[in-house]
Amino acid sequence: MQSSGKQYFEGCGKEGQIRCIFLSEFHATAGSKISCQVPPDYVQKDVFDAISVYIIPKPHLQKCILTVNAMDIKIVGYPVGIEDQQKYARNAFLFNLCFVCDSWARSVQYEPVVKKLSEYLIMMEEESCFLSKEGDNKLKLMKIFETVINDLNKKKVTTIVEGDTTIYLKIVTHKPDPPVVKDHMVPLLLVDYQNTPLENWDLTTQQILPYINGINHIARIAAEADVETNLVKSCVQNLVYYGVVQLLPILKYSNVYMTQNLKSLIQNPSLTNACRKYVALKPDKVKPTIQKIFQFYASMTHGVTLRVICQRLCPQNHNIDERKLVIFGLQHKFIRCIHKYPVFTGSVPSGRQKMYTGLSNFDEICCKTGLSPSSIEKDIDKDTNVTVIWK
Amino acid sequence: MEINPIAVILVYMDSKGDRLLYRYPYAADKSLNNQNLSYSVNNSLPHVDSSGSLTQKSGSDGLQKKRHRFALQNSDDLLQTQPLNSAGNIAISKAGQLQGFSDDVLAPLFAVKPQLCNQKFELKVNDVRFVSHPTLVPRREQQLQQQRSNFISQLTNVTSVVPQQQQQQPQQMLVNIVFALHAQASYSIVKCYYDLSKRLGLALKVEEQRVGYLTEETVLMTRTHDEVSSQQLPLEKAFDLISERCTLAQSLKSIYHDLCTTGLLNATINQNLTLCFCLPAKAHQLHKKGSMVDPETIDQCLKSLKPYHGMLLLVAAVELLDCIPPAAARMLFQLIEVYTPLMSLQSMASDADLSIEHVYKLVSHLVYWAKATIIYPLCETNVYVIAPDAPLHTKSHLVEKFSARFPGMSLFEVISDFSLPTSIGHLTTPLQQSARQGILAQMVLWMLQHHLLMQLHTYVQFMPGDVDDLDSDEDDDDDDDDDVNGGCEMESASLMDLAGSMLGQDDILIAGRSSNSDDDLVAGSLLSLSSQPLPVPHTSRRSITEDRFSAGGSTTSENIAAQPSSSHKSNFSMTASLSTDNCDSIDSIEDEEKIKELLQVFDESDRPAIRRIPASANLDDLSLMVKLYEAGYFKSEHHLEEIMYFENLKRSQLLQLLDKFREVLIIYETEDPAIASMYNNKMPGEW
Repeated sequence: MQSSGKQYFEGCGKEGQIRCIFLSEFHATAGSKISCQVPPDYVQKDVFDAISVYIIPKPHLQKCILTVNAMDIKIVGYPVGIEDQQKYARNAFLFNLCFVCDSWARSVQYEPVVKKLSEYLIMMEEESCFLSKEGDNKLKLMKIFETVINDLNKKKVTTIVEGDTTIYLKIVTHKPDPPVVKDHMVPLLLVDYQNTPLENWDLTTQQILPYINGINHIARIAAEADVETNLVKSCVQNLVYYGVVQLLPILKYSNVYMTQNLKSLIQNPSLTNACRKYVALKPDKVKPTIQKIFQFYASMTHGVTLRVICQRLCPQNHNIDERKLVIFGLQHKFIRCIHKYPVFTGSVPSGRQKMYTGLSNFDEICCKTGLSPSSIEKDIDKDTNVTVIWK
Repeated sequence: MEINPIAVILVYMDSKGDRLLYRYPYAADKSLNNQNLSYSVNNSLPHVDSSGSLTQKSGSDGLQKKRHRFALQNSDDLLQTQPLNSAGNIAISKAGQLQGFSDDVLAPLFAVKPQLCNQKFELKVNDVRFVSHPTLVPRREQQLQQQRSNFISQLTNVTSVVPQQQQQQPQQMLVNIVFALHAQASYSIVKCYYDLSKRLGLALKVEEQRVGYLTEETVLMTRTHDEVSSQQLPLEKAFDLISERCTLAQSLKSIYHDLCTTGLLNATINQNLTLCFCLPAKAHQLHKKGSMVDPETIDQCLKSLKPYHGMLLLVAAVELLDCIPPAAARMLFQLIEVYTPLMSLQSMASDADLSIEHVYKLVSHLVYWAKATIIYPLCETNVYVIAPDAPLHTKSHLVEKFSARFPGMSLFEVISDFSLPTSIGHLTTPLQQSARQGILAQMVLWMLQHHLLMQLHTYVQFMPGDVDDLDSDEDDDDDDDDDVNGGCEMESASLMDLAGSMLGQDDILIAGRSSNSDDDLVAGSLLSLSSQPLPVPHTSRRSITEDRFSAGGSTTSENIAAQPSSSHKSNFSMTASLSTDNCDSIDSIEDEEKIKELLQVFDESDRPAIRRIPASANLDDLSLMVKLYEAGYFKSEHHLEEIMYFENLKRSQLLQLLDKFREVLIIYETEDPAIASMYNNKMPGEW
């Protein structure tokens, strides 16, 4: 899913544009054919003949979304049949509205659109024989298709008025499921959304958004915004799904971080500049140098806490806000937090030991028990049956 | 992500029409088994054969619905609109497999037009993706004659037109082995299945041409279908009989099972052709549950293979040799014979008397087949740390596995030593017996095999600071690098001398390596140790080497052996200039010129920072620094081990140099991206 890859290949995971829209129908005498295509002749006749069985399939496959990828094109269709013994020569009118993409492109996002547009066409056909009637309807249809291609490719949304029908279409992208949000996680609002007016969000989001600053964790946001924790969690999960916020670990000066792929900070000049701007302690002063920033990141390794690095490098003297530096690093994945996982190695756990499974880290345990990290640490130090693992 | 196939379907078409000859799994009389199998498909468990799961399934409706989201949602409506040809179809829909697709729907879909043959064919119907490589197979004529005489009695309806057609040109048959997959399966998984279908098609083509196998099998299947339908038995009976009678059906069945369990295939088609196939996404899960290793990741890792990398087998060598087909390359046996995780690929290649290219190929195969992983050869100085996604929790099966392998040891106790980056050298003291070290090495290897540990490497970034921050305290960074660094206090000049005297040894070492290694590279790195100045700093490395050959007085390459002495000599002068802090020797003016020349390599703005470093006055140090800088080693792309290998430097030499130039270098530890790509960092819980 790299956005930098230039060449398109099958499986690159990129969404492609709609190259063509056509309507295919089963003609009473001529059989399957394309009756309307925009742009014309994008799908050649020989190609269509080879795959027509998937465009106008047997009745059992009607109302299924069929995607066929062969002969270097990918066609997403939704074959339908309208049965009416009076109206149609063969007692039914079979047609399929298809979107054509490049064979390398992802097309799953068009499936609901194809289905919806087909359903509009079914409605228009049932009401006014829009598709089956001979006449200038084909021209109107071509206009519709043209608008759909242009608008969806550019704006991902379109509204078309045709006669009595108004067609609303929107491409909704499928995203992977968001992670489970836990008490100790810290949401961070991404830059693109920072200037969105508050009233544009839903009510819960409006209430909690002022407390989302990359420092407060979920439990604290819930307490400060006076919103029920589970509500905050589902709200944040929803925001994560739409890419509005990102989840980070709690920022503590006792945290340990580890670098990964740090070279991208140097190699990508726009990232370098973004970083220098973001981590500045006082924006009006001269921006911190990349040398100092890189040095700070490079000092992060196992066994070195943020506090130690700050004492050693005095980031404030160089106009660096270490908290922002950490957030930026986590956000762009130059660094990851090394968590502490207590593991109970004895035979029968009792009390708090039950939480030391190796699955929950210190932050989580602190959040659950409401104890401070130091008291838990003392507790574990005393207990010979508990081993601590950093990872 | 859904890796397992939903079904495998065999569709056949010839001049007489198309037919779905076989599919597996099918809901049969033993529907219980199959339903459980379908259950296992969704859970990536090999077999669940307790009848309890079945009742649970039908009991919890909501759960079932969720599980069935991959199949046709409105299949029940669809099924009602079409005549059910057998009662068995209802069972199929219950089993959650390909529900709603009856055989006479599927057959015409996969009996593709000739234009679509011999290329990739992909069809997605709702949430099921079908992928295949439709193959055209010319019928073997002789065989057909024989077939006809054999089966003419049963197949009276074979038209007499067929033989006439044949006399003109061999009749083409279309065979299409289709895999039905979950639509969510990633592209690389789909591609693997496509590849498998293509290979199966090819195997059938070969066998058809050899002995008419396909004709034989398809006729047998068709006959069975006709038999069963004439007796009005359910369709599943036909599939049952086919599974009993036809070896092709048996092969497909076992292929399906292998794909669902291990992802590794070793099928023999017609007891003649061996078909090996690996589904990496599945096969790699055997060693690490929940990991998703796709072929692209493996390729990426293998592309960055270097001679200094090592290999770690994930299975015992004996076990590996057992599963290698007898026709395997002899070279593989040679390699396994000399295999040890302590050696680099380069040394293994020379020990096994193989070229490094061959070793790369062999290792690539082993990695792809989840039999090996790439490591840096195990040694005392390697720094390991717990992998971020190591499945370390009390319920982990690894805990028991570990104590079974190492009795009396606890995984958590051993691995907690690696909470901080640690080397084997650190964990053992010279006073301890070597046995203890051996066990520790074994444990480290075990943990590497299970991807619990990850190696850290030291990287260097050239980054001169500003003029005003002279006293930066970067030295803390490399303090915890390595204990070899302890030698830092040593007089630098004496170390250079040491390097010079070591040179002869290194020479032998290199000669001992494979002879077909990059010759000019080795020569270049040898020469690099001589303290000849670089005459043309901006030319490419190879030309520098050549230039130095002529300029340095040593005329031919046979004189390499003479180089150490000459470098030794100049080292002496350096020693002199160093020990007396004031550079008032005769060479100094000359050196000053050379130093100026060398500094030209750096950017104008960076030069003052470098000049400020005392070591930059030392021609030796500076020229090595310039050489490494020019070769691009200080761009966070190469770890110390790589620099040492390619430039033929000693660790102490390199660390000394880095220490001397620490003001302009930032040194940090991180994982080798090539190897880290094989670790799955996308585990849930990570954010």
